Amino acid sequence: MFGEGLLTGMGVTWKHFWGKKETFCYPEEKLPMTERFRGGHLVLDHKKCIACSLCSLACPNQAIKLKIVPDAKKKRHMQSYIHLVGRCLYCNLCVEACNTHALSWDKNYAISTWHREEMEDELVTAEGLAYFHQVMEKAKAEAEAEAKAKAEEQKNGGGDA
Amino acid sequence: MPQTETYTLSMGPQHPSTHGVLQVRLDLDGESILKATPCMGYLHRGIEKLLESRTYVQGVPYTDRLDYVSSMNNNLGYCRAVEELAQIEVPERAEYIRVIVAELNRIASHLVFIGSLANDLGAVTGMIYAFRDREKILDLFDLVCGARMTFHYIRVGGVSADLPPEFAAKCEEFLKIVPEFMQEYEDILTGNEILQHRLHGTSPMTKEQALSHNMTGPNIRAVGIPFDIRKVDGYGVYPKFEFDVPLGENGDNWDRYRVRYLEIYESAKIIRQALDGLPEGDIMAKFPKVLRPPKGEVYSRTEGTRGELGFYIVSDGSTKPYRVHIRRPSFINLQGLDDMCRGMLIGDSVAAFSAIDPLMGEVDC
Repeated sequence: MFGEGLLTGMGVTWKHFWGKKETFCYPEEKLPMTERFRGGHLVLDHKKCIACSLCSLACPNQAIKLKIVPDAKKKRHMQSYIHLVGRCLYCNLCVEACNTHALSWDKNYAISTWHREEMEDELVTAEGLAYFHQVMEKAKAEAEAEAKAKAEEQKNGGGDA
Repeated sequence: MPQTETYTLSMGPQHPSTHGVLQVRLDLDGESILKATPCMGYLHRGIEKLLESRTYVQGVPYTDRLDYVSSMNNNLGYCRAVEELAQIEVPERAEYIRVIVAELNRIASHLVFIGSLANDLGAVTGMIYAFRDREKILDLFDLVCGARMTFHYIRVGGVSADLPPEFAAKCEEFLKIVPEFMQEYEDILTGNEILQHRLHGTSPMTKEQALSHNMTGPNIRAVGIPFDIRKVDGYGVYPKFEFDVPLGENGDNWDRYRVRYLEIYESAKIIRQALDGLPEGDIMAKFPKVLRPPKGEVYSRTEGTRGELGFYIVSDGSTKPYRVHIRRPSFINLQGLDDMCRGMLIGDSVAAFSAIDPLMGEVDC
């Protein structure tokens, strides 16, 4: 019979009209992201980071710009870590390259911005920068103290001789 | 004496039914098509060239962006080619996981086909149903690799992470509902008179035509040629699984629809067998972090969702490939559009696009 298929199709729609809803009201209800979700912004744990720059080397699209500064004891520290969100492929290679597990995703999927400049994301937070200055100062002080001790030792040693 | 003359109609590249940015120049006599010329290149990103400037491992996420509806199959194709070139032995567990995710992705891609075919023929409701079920597969992928679109899960040497513990149960749950939702499509689409009128007997192709265009995948199986690389050239662990290759008879749009429809059942069969036989073991082969395959070249082919997906890689012994060429099935299948459209009406050309199922990301590469 012509029209039988149409009626069967309408029957499916009718069944679903009264059935369980497949959708939900998005801004009011939000789905939790999965444990492995890759997306949003990168988060850098400044205490774990050893500034080895493996993440930036692993990046296929050069989306990570680093500014690494050696301290007075020639140990490297991260001063600035810029994630170019617009270039990112979200491939997770940087996170996997990190030996100290200092990098992770913040799992915030709502990352659209109004301006292009906002797509350059600085991962070293104010707290991270304070920590950076603190370790730099500490290293400087330690190096100075060591140099002083060495000089004194030399002076004393020279006197003895 | 009134005379008619042929005229040219430009369809696309912003036409809603051209699956992306494809322009088709239609030479028309009244409303019947004399010639259909696909004009491509609007989505060209130069992925082949980009791969030359990335290391072998860094190249994998770019293959996600070829056929973005079935990224897992692209990852698989590229990784198999690199593994063949560098002679890397993939652990068995990783091979099984690869089969599971690739077949899940095949189902997802065929669901997109069914949805977009329905949408192009005016049945928007049909699209919503197909996308609802595809969402369940994307949820599974989200669980496995944390992405819903560009997965980058299959890596050179294996897969990026083991399946999470809850995956097996959730996948089993999905496989259980496959017959349910397929029956719904049967009710809402297959039995629908309008869909049958639009697909039966439109854009038929003979075996000779399909072969001369070098068509592959569901498009060649629709004309009745049993060419499936998983069977013909059983790669990976595919020879261990039992599945049939659905074939069409007339090579018309209806057969192209039915072949893909039936392939969903076959993929589900493969996934079930792979889940049951999933061995324990490593998921990643051991190979040096800086991969330098020996000098040489390789052509590796896999059965992508849309046909034979081939990667031709030339190595000069350095960390980056010297040349990569990708045999994209969508691009080659699209060449049959002209033969399919000749003598048909304008409306049928829309059905023909959908039935070929080209993906512009892959056509333009």
